[in-house]
Amino acid sequence: MIEIENLTYTYPGAHRPALNDLNLCIGEGEFVLVTGPSGAGKSTLLRCLNGLVPHFTGGRISGRITVAGHNPIAEGPQVLSRIVGFVFQDPRSQFVLDRVEDEIAFGLENAAVPPAEMRVRVEEVLHLLDLAPLRGRTLDTLSGGEQQRVAIAAALVFRPRILVLDEPTSQLDPQSAEDVLQALVRLNQDLGLTIILAEHRLERVLPYADRLVYIPGHAESQRNVLAGSPRQVLQQMELTPPVVALGKALGWAPLPLTIKEGRAFAARLPLPPDTPRTAPLRRPGSRLHIRDLHFAYNGREVLRGIDLQIAPGELVVLMGRNGSGKTTLLKCVVGLLRPEHGEIVLDGRPVTGRHPAEICRHVGYLPQEPDAMLFADSVLDELQVTLRNHGLQDAPPVPPAVLLARLGLDEVAGSYPRDLSAGQRQRVALGAVTVTRPGLLLLDEPTRGLDYQLKRQLLALLREWQAEEVSVLLVTHDVELAALAADRVVILSEGCVIADDAPEVLAASPLFAPQVARLFPGTGWLTVNDALIGLGVRKN
Amino acid sequence: MSARRIIGGTIYVLSGAVGVLAFIYPFLVEIPRQSYGQAHSQDAPLVTVALVGLSVVALLVELQGREISARTVALLGVLVAIASVLRFVENAVPGPGGFSPIFAPIILAGYVFGSRFGFLMGAFTLLTSALITGGVGPWLPYQMFTAGWTGMTAGWLSHMVHRVLHPAPRVKEKLEFVILCVFGFAWGLLYGAIVNLWFWPWAVGAPEQTWTPGLGLWETLRRYGAFYLVTSLVWDTARAAGNVTLLLLLGPAMLRALSRFRQRFYFEVCTDA
Amino acid sequence: MPDARTWLLWALTVLVTASRVRNPLYSILTLLIAAVVELVCAPHRSTGLPSSFRFGAIVIVLGALFNGLTAHLGDTVLFSLPAQLPLLGGPVTLEALVYGATNGLVLAAIFSSFSTFNRVTPVRDLVRLAPRAFHESGVVISIALTFIPQMMRQLDEIRDAQAVRGHRMRGLRDWLPVILPLLMGGLERAIGLAEAMVARGYGALSNRRHSLRLQMLLLVGLMVMLAGWLVFLLLPQWRLVAVSGMMAGGGVIAGLLWQTGRSVPHTSYRMHRWTLRDGFVALGCGVTLALLFAPLPCVDRKALYYSPYPRLSPPPFNAVAGLGLLGLLVPAIVVKRGFSSDDRD
Repeated sequence: MIEIENLTYTYPGAHRPALNDLNLCIGEGEFVLVTGPSGAGKSTLLRCLNGLVPHFTGGRISGRITVAGHNPIAEGPQVLSRIVGFVFQDPRSQFVLDRVEDEIAFGLENAAVPPAEMRVRVEEVLHLLDLAPLRGRTLDTLSGGEQQRVAIAAALVFRPRILVLDEPTSQLDPQSAEDVLQALVRLNQDLGLTIILAEHRLERVLPYADRLVYIPGHAESQRNVLAGSPRQVLQQMELTPPVVALGKALGWAPLPLTIKEGRAFAARLPLPPDTPRTAPLRRPGSRLHIRDLHFAYNGREVLRGIDLQIAPGELVVLMGRNGSGKTTLLKCVVGLLRPEHGEIVLDGRPVTGRHPAEICRHVGYLPQEPDAMLFADSVLDELQVTLRNHGLQDAPPVPPAVLLARLGLDEVAGSYPRDLSAGQRQRVALGAVTVTRPGLLLLDEPTRGLDYQLKRQLLALLREWQAEEVSVLLVTHDVELAALAADRVVILSEGCVIADDAPEVLAASPLFAPQVARLFPGTGWLTVNDALIGLGVRKN
Repeated sequence: MSARRIIGGTIYVLSGAVGVLAFIYPFLVEIPRQSYGQAHSQDAPLVTVALVGLSVVALLVELQGREISARTVALLGVLVAIASVLRFVENAVPGPGGFSPIFAPIILAGYVFGSRFGFLMGAFTLLTSALITGGVGPWLPYQMFTAGWTGMTAGWLSHMVHRVLHPAPRVKEKLEFVILCVFGFAWGLLYGAIVNLWFWPWAVGAPEQTWTPGLGLWETLRRYGAFYLVTSLVWDTARAAGNVTLLLLLGPAMLRALSRFRQRFYFEVCTDA
Repeated sequence: MPDARTWLLWALTVLVTASRVRNPLYSILTLLIAAVVELVCAPHRSTGLPSSFRFGAIVIVLGALFNGLTAHLGDTVLFSLPAQLPLLGGPVTLEALVYGATNGLVLAAIFSSFSTFNRVTPVRDLVRLAPRAFHESGVVISIALTFIPQMMRQLDEIRDAQAVRGHRMRGLRDWLPVILPLLMGGLERAIGLAEAMVARGYGALSNRRHSLRLQMLLLVGLMVMLAGWLVFLLLPQWRLVAVSGMMAGGGVIAGLLWQTGRSVPHTSYRMHRWTLRDGFVALGCGVTLALLFAPLPCVDRKALYYSPYPRLSPPPFNAVAGLGLLGLLVPAIVVKRGFSSDDRD
């Protein structure tokens, strides 16, 4: 159904082609997962399928693409919109109107479809995506997952044969992501819709994928695009989900894709006896001490008596479902929100009553959307802006050039920050808040939308800072990251701390257990490394 | 110059003439020496509103005569949203009198993206503001018309600075700044003069409000002047000063951001008048 | 709930009525009617007097003062200002004050009618009022309305993000780090939005290039309209020619609008059908206009125009004309109690 031959494309003004001599074939009704490091060209490839590249983006293209008998390069996105539905990453910047029904009907209105036909199609699509109870709602009152479903509905209203999605769950929390992916699976299995999905979080969709396409980064040539059944491709990929990585290391065949398949293998292995849980190593000292913190918003209690202590050099991961108060807690620490009751003490000094700008001389807070910070003309300037705000431009605690080198940004020090990739932008923001050499780092969901490689790099950076006695409080939904990074894990629920313990506490929780813990319950192993060492395959 | 350009240009000129006429017509009306209570005299303001409205319509029809891409539509929508947001922010930071932060973005957008974009930006910003603040009324055509012309002339200004003056790069930024500030000041006053005086004919009443052979032209002018002084001038000077302040403070950075955006993303074939 | 178009008709009728009738009694009646309609029909019953009342009061007082102090005509002199003062010098008469107040009343009535109109129609319905020729403009406004709440939230996020790197909001200059990211983020979103729109087929069917003929017609329409207006203003004896010129020019422009509208390929998901309620409101407006302006024998036309000069006298009142004004009250009678804001079918 989709045939790509020798596709080469270069963005306008770029030195290297984004896609280089790509060949790919996709059959009808397949559920295709496209993965690969950030910047490798996944988005570009997907946009070639409906003609956005090159019609919307410009640039030079060569090669052949055929999509369901049409040629996107010649015909353009407006024509292809009837055959290929496209869903983008950020739900909010796809919507023109404010109500669910109106938004879905927008495309049909522009195509001058007769009103009776419009109603039929809108009804059809509302029921297909389970949106009927939400039909009259305004789009900003919906959750991220519901919004993406509306976006899918708006694309499906033309009855396309192919649905292409560019990282639709990157900005969503796990529950919403699950929502969206289940909807896609249903569409593929019940309707036979061909689905092409670019994703980083492979774990959720691997079991359903018919094919996996891996586009290597620019370090490797793109002729080595790997395409085939998931097991085939995963065998050749380097960074894979824990179950798969374990399977490869232990030689399990056929390669397990889900916990269920993995358990079948894991159960046959001789396990060491239950190791007693070691008491968490409490580091001395207290950098941050929170006592009985209460915060209410609009009459609703968000934080109910939080107690938390973080020592210098400690990395604490804060987890909890959506709405449990994690971001609120961070904002209280930094002074953006004023708690009703309770005490926050930073390095011996209370925080309440101080202006956030003053508090942030000693605390680095990376918000969920780091782009909100960036406005200077160059990366170096961003750091200078922070220094000037604090009055430290003449005597910076960390020389900006040194910080940039550490963050891996020295090559782009003169570039315009908003032109950089997402990972780089995040690091620029990180630089902007750490240039004052804070003793405490607060990170709110820093790994959203990052690929495995970038997550590892971030982790390495945090470890370096930890070695310098900087404390880190990391809020995330990503259990695998928590398993790798945390010295301690704190779980919040409904505004209360329900667990504050070594990372092993995750293993016991059904909601937060990483894959390895689910494979080997009771062992306290959290990462692939733990399991391999525990099984004697790898030396400590 | 193609026929289209000429016709387009003439349409702009004519609608501008309608605008000017709407402003000065009270001076032109002859005072009939008849009894008071002449019914027709009340028509004049209504007719003016209708005519200004029609000329806005005509301008819009003309401006939409060329293809408007999705990019322009999205960009206009977002910029209008930002300008409107600034207006709400203005309520939080009370400025004196008629200070309204929406003019600086309109002028800058017209300057960077061209006169057609500038007109649409001005007209739509006022329309959207009116929709949200519940200010739709017979004054709206005047507001849209004048704000639109603010944006449109900003586009012509840019054309003039870049094509006609050819300044050297270093001088250019400073020159642009001065010109834009003067421009902002002038339009601050002009906008107020045009828009706040729309209800003058209604408010002051028919010229023949006396039973003696009525007020002559000079008298009318004097009263018009007094009216302006009392209602408009202070307000407008505040607006003009506000424009200049905003442009001075935020202008250079905003201009850079918009220009950069235009170079990178906005490759649209803009043949502006 | 009557349609936005019906409400516009109503508001325009009040506009025409209020501005052509210069009798304070009728103006007050119109004001009251507009207030009643607003109180009954507006979805959000705000407590207290509508703000248009306050505004109206200000306008009336200002009008009275302005006219009283600058026009020195009339018989009943209240006091005199020294003649040396430019413009203000001379006797201040009661008639002048009353005349000014009357003008203020007219303005207040106009304002209150539009205030009602604004309160009563939800914003998105107003956007749908746009004629089909301006469909793209409608999309632009829709996008703006959708993005405004997003941008406001974004503004808060940005303020927090900047506070966290040491930024304090002290003066006007400190708004720069807040407005710039808003602008840049907005621009990036605009591109994302454009991409999404194109991917959904926006612009597929538009072959928008106006023909030269259409442009010429537009030009001609404008010229005729302008010429007609000039004649109307400057040469009162050719009034009929002038009016027909203006109407012809206006008609050409409106016709072109309609024609370009027809060539826009666009259908509407939410169509409002003309209901009985709309019919009643339109009828009420028609009755008002007819009774007040048509040359019917039962109405004393002179009662509509009142002048306090030369000597103050009570304004006349004609009952039939008053009844005619009540035609504007129809929306209040016809509106359903406990309605839902979206009455589609």
